[in-house]
Amino acid sequence: MSVNSFADELRARSDDAIAQLFAVRPDLLSPVPTDLSALSARANSTPSLMRALESLNKFQLEVLTSASTLTQPFSKSELLSVSVPEAGEELLRLWAAALVYKDGTKFRLPGNLGQLIGDEPAGLGPRSMKKFDFKALADLPVDSAAVLERLTWGPPRGQVGNIKAPGKSIAWLLEHDYLAVMDSKTVVLPREVGMHLRGGKVFKEYSPKAVSFVGTARKQKDIDRAAIANISNFLRWCEELAHHWSDEPPIALRSGGLGIRDLKRSADHLGIAENCVAFVAEVLYLGGLIVIDPDDQILPTNSFDIWMSRSLEERWSSLVSLWLETSRVSGLSGKVGEKNIAPLGPELDRAGISSMRKVTLNILAKNLESDPVIKNLQEIIAWQMPQRFNAEYIEWTLREAEWLGLTGQGALSEFGIAFLNGSDELGVERALPKPVDHILIQADNSAIAPGPLTVELANMIGTIADIESRGGASVYRFSEGSIRRGLDHGQTGEQIKDFLKKTSKTPVPQPLEYLINDVAKRHGRLRVGMAQTYIRCEDEGLLTQILHDKKLESLRFRKLAPQVLVCDFEAGDVIATLREASYLPAAENAGGILISAPAIRRAKSRPKPPRIISETSAPSEIVIKAAVRTLRTGEKASSHKPREVPRTTANETLDLLHQYIEEQASLTIGYADTNGGVSNRLIDPISISLGTLIARDHATGEMQSFRIPRITGVSPAK
Amino acid sequence: MTDGPLIVQSDKTLLLDIDHPLSDDCRRAIASFAELEKSPEHIHTYRLTPLGLWNARAAGHDAEQVVDILLKYSRFAVPHALLVDVAETMSRYGRLRLEAHPVHGLVLVSHDPAVLKEVTRGKKVAPMLGLQLDAETIVVHPGQRGFLKQALLKLGWPAEDFAGYVDGEHHEIDLVQDGWSIRKYQELAAEGFWHGGSGVVVLPCGAGKTIVGAAAMAHAKATTLILVTNTIAARQWRDELLKRTTLHEDEIGEYSGSKKEIRPVTIATYQVMTTRKQGVYAHLDLFDAIDWGLIIYDEVHLLPAPIFRFTADIQSRRRLGLTATLVREDGMEGEVFSLIGPKRFDVPWKEIEAQGYIAPADCIEVRVNLTEDERLNYATAEPEDRYRFCSTTATKRKVAIALAKQHSEEQVLIIGQYIDQLDALSAELGVPLIKGDTPIKERERLFNLYRTGEIKCLVVSKVANFSIDLPDATIAIQVSGTFGSRQEEAQRLGRILRPKSDGRTARFYSIVARDTVDQDFAQNRQRFLAEQGYAYGIIDADDVLSANPD
Repeated sequence: MSVNSFADELRARSDDAIAQLFAVRPDLLSPVPTDLSALSARANSTPSLMRALESLNKFQLEVLTSASTLTQPFSKSELLSVSVPEAGEELLRLWAAALVYKDGTKFRLPGNLGQLIGDEPAGLGPRSMKKFDFKALADLPVDSAAVLERLTWGPPRGQVGNIKAPGKSIAWLLEHDYLAVMDSKTVVLPREVGMHLRGGKVFKEYSPKAVSFVGTARKQKDIDRAAIANISNFLRWCEELAHHWSDEPPIALRSGGLGIRDLKRSADHLGIAENCVAFVAEVLYLGGLIVIDPDDQILPTNSFDIWMSRSLEERWSSLVSLWLETSRVSGLSGKVGEKNIAPLGPELDRAGISSMRKVTLNILAKNLESDPVIKNLQEIIAWQMPQRFNAEYIEWTLREAEWLGLTGQGALSEFGIAFLNGSDELGVERALPKPVDHILIQADNSAIAPGPLTVELANMIGTIADIESRGGASVYRFSEGSIRRGLDHGQTGEQIKDFLKKTSKTPVPQPLEYLINDVAKRHGRLRVGMAQTYIRCEDEGLLTQILHDKKLESLRFRKLAPQVLVCDFEAGDVIATLREASYLPAAENAGGILISAPAIRRAKSRPKPPRIISETSAPSEIVIKAAVRTLRTGEKASSHKPREVPRTTANETLDLLHQYIEEQASLTIGYADTNGGVSNRLIDPISISLGTLIARDHATGEMQSFRIPRITGVSPAK
Repeated sequence: MTDGPLIVQSDKTLLLDIDHPLSDDCRRAIASFAELEKSPEHIHTYRLTPLGLWNARAAGHDAEQVVDILLKYSRFAVPHALLVDVAETMSRYGRLRLEAHPVHGLVLVSHDPAVLKEVTRGKKVAPMLGLQLDAETIVVHPGQRGFLKQALLKLGWPAEDFAGYVDGEHHEIDLVQDGWSIRKYQELAAEGFWHGGSGVVVLPCGAGKTIVGAAAMAHAKATTLILVTNTIAARQWRDELLKRTTLHEDEIGEYSGSKKEIRPVTIATYQVMTTRKQGVYAHLDLFDAIDWGLIIYDEVHLLPAPIFRFTADIQSRRRLGLTATLVREDGMEGEVFSLIGPKRFDVPWKEIEAQGYIAPADCIEVRVNLTEDERLNYATAEPEDRYRFCSTTATKRKVAIALAKQHSEEQVLIIGQYIDQLDALSAELGVPLIKGDTPIKERERLFNLYRTGEIKCLVVSKVANFSIDLPDATIAIQVSGTFGSRQEEAQRLGRILRPKSDGRTARFYSIVARDTVDQDFAQNRQRFLAEQGYAYGIIDADDVLSANPD
């Protein structure tokens, strides 16, 4: 069994067979191998084999595992004898996938595959090269039978207390070689015995077929209606969430992603569940329609505006295809009872979810007009892709497909079918309510768009009115604030009125017109701007002269009023420049009072003197006296405290310790712990090194090291 | 997708396109479970609220019907989550039931022990409950019936009240329809109430709520206690009952500050009921004085808080609330629901107007520019004085006088909040003023003179906000009000909505100082009426003044 022979076998395959191999194991194609040796090396490499294993269904995996229990090479009939007749057909498929290869008339497994499947395939122990007759089994003691029963279906190993003195049941089995010794505490059931006990079959049951699909019948018409409601909702959520975040951008968490509070806020705003918001946000993120800015704000991008300009169908299909392909699993965020994983965060990637989504949708596509039973669907998929199966992912896929409108009432919609078939026209545009190009304005200063508005209209109305209610239709309200916003955006009162007259099917009510006029009339009456320095002068002629003075051009004066000029330079510079140009300016303060003396310059910041590294200076008598008094009091107080080791200075401590080490005498030390609490220890000092005292602690009787700086005092043991 | 008249929004509002041929059918269908929020000219807005859905359950509709109606009339696909929510909300009603028990009196029953457990854990609810008889039944003290319903509603588990009503002392009352007949909507309102047991009827001012009350009394044929806002209203009720029913003068008593009569039909004022002597409500006994079969609350949107408390004690008596605007600025709509009862009947103002039962009206806001001095004073006024200052400026007074003169041929009411402002207006125009301290006799005399047309113009304070029947008033000029009160605005408009003999359009002027809080409050005040389809035109005061140069 060598790679070479595997390569030789591949070399001998027809072009069609190689093409088929590429079809079932596409990873072998990238990059295209240079020759057949390279192909065989790659096909036998662990990563490629793992991928190939993941793509197998449950039955194929069973057959392959059964094959791996056989002595290599094995014949087809040997395989069939340990499995089921259907295995023959699968063997051909496995061969096509180069998971087995031919050796003459027999078959072999590629070298690395055995390792991947493991030493104990299907829970069978290692081969024991002994000859078995199973006659002795007829006399199998009851206890021993129980042991065998536990080991038969794996794992084949069992622990025993002591292999030299095993229990009766184990001893019997060892004696008859029905168990083999692995190490001093483990016994193992040899493969031959296991196979015999399993009745010659590797698996108790083979599952050549998946369970059949179960679902509740639905009518395609109802499905499509529900789906189109889902699609229009989903697109509205996307739009609304982006707008909402543009108004109030959430701040991304430090660890990346959207915080739970922002998620809740957005959920309230949209009136949908949090997991749904997380999903919408993720999809927008996938499409690059929102992004986490460098300053951590989560904001819509320019791509969002481009996306908005496309047709509804394109908007939808672009996001759905991203969803289908992505490895991010938005369902992971906000799972109850687990550590929160933030949407838009770095922790949402999971391998294999995309193929799981496709498999799920394919099953729905094969079973149209029915709403699947989740349990059943999970079983089917568990059979189809046992290596990647995850029950939750399937639940989330169904949930998300419903939110997206791929499904309606659980079953695949017309639009979903068209999308999966890759049709050019999905029919979404046709089924969605037509955009309306008019609004109805009512006397209470509200406007109603009786359907989705065209983008231009929606943008314009969004500027001059506040949205009050959303859904199939939108309700807007005009207010002083909203009209002002429109004016701020550069509209004039006349433009707003013209727009409303043109757009409204109903006459514009008089109060609204009045409101617009009124706000427009007052808007901008107050002007606010920035200027650094002003010049005022009662002589308007002089100001005009300054304004036109060539020497002062650099100051770029602007005239604000007949007697006031402003410019954007510091007052000091302006005064200096004016003086140079032989004018006689004087500075004044905010109250208009002349600053008579030339201003002495002072720093604007508060005084911050540098720190002083102090040296000891002679203390005053008072300080000394106070210090002495404190010392005395302290002394007195400490003399009342029993058992405390008197404090010694560092030098004293060291001297004393050396002395005691020489004398080999016991002594008491005060020792401070990390919190500063001092305890007394009775010790026998042994040595001092690197600032550490090694000593035997009487309390524990063990050697211990004490850091010298922490020793507060030393005294002879009493 | 149908082409229906209804748009169901995901925020639970329903938009009804009035110009759609099916709009009438649709409105009738959804009225049972959705609350009419506003009814301007083209699109009416309804809202699905828990209260509304529970109302519908109380009236015997189930979630399936509601969902069917929504799907049937909806123009666009209905959000699935909303339908689920409707079903869920409606299923909460009636899981708890209040029932009469032969031994223990009143019991709280639920077939869902989990719900029962949840509510008994509630801090507010627990003290009202007594012995648990079995897994599904808990004894309730009869006196707690109202409070319990209130508390359960707050918990989101409204109890269905099957404990029934006492019949009260029988008293023969019938409508006497000679020379007049009860209108269709009045009859529907009275029936709606009667079948519901207790509840609130909402009708516009001037649409004849008194008749609905009388019709309800004719259904009950029992002793009745009527609670009204003030003495004048009490007298009007009495006159109306004498005219419309078989009741005689000696069967109707007035229980007010001046008289304390208790008769089979007694009309009491809120004021006397809430009068306290040494900290004790002195007149509470009235509720037990007779075995009342029916209690009518006039202007239920004004019901003072103490009356709510008394009402909680009398849940076994039938209760009828009447109002034009079930908007409470204090947000106590929930109390009205649980203590008086759900809304049993509601109809848009414009619809009654279209039937000719209330006069059409123009509402006009007159914007007054304050003079420069006034603006300066306003800017420097303390925040709490600002409204008073800007709503009582001399400029406003001038405009009010100009308007009054402009309409000197018609019956004019000038309504305001601040007495000194009204005093000044009354003095300058030389017309009488009715305010809080005007004796009842004098008020009645003045109102009578006004009704007969001998007085063309009256200045009134807020005492005349409600229940004053002045059929021929066609012009109302509002100079100031209680801040942003929506219901006050509606009630004041209501003063001039009685149909005029010559079918004339009434006119309601509201004088507002530009760029002040007055304007902000005015906007809020007008919202209710605007939502009922009364479009406020806006004119500049200068136009008024230039039309009346003197």
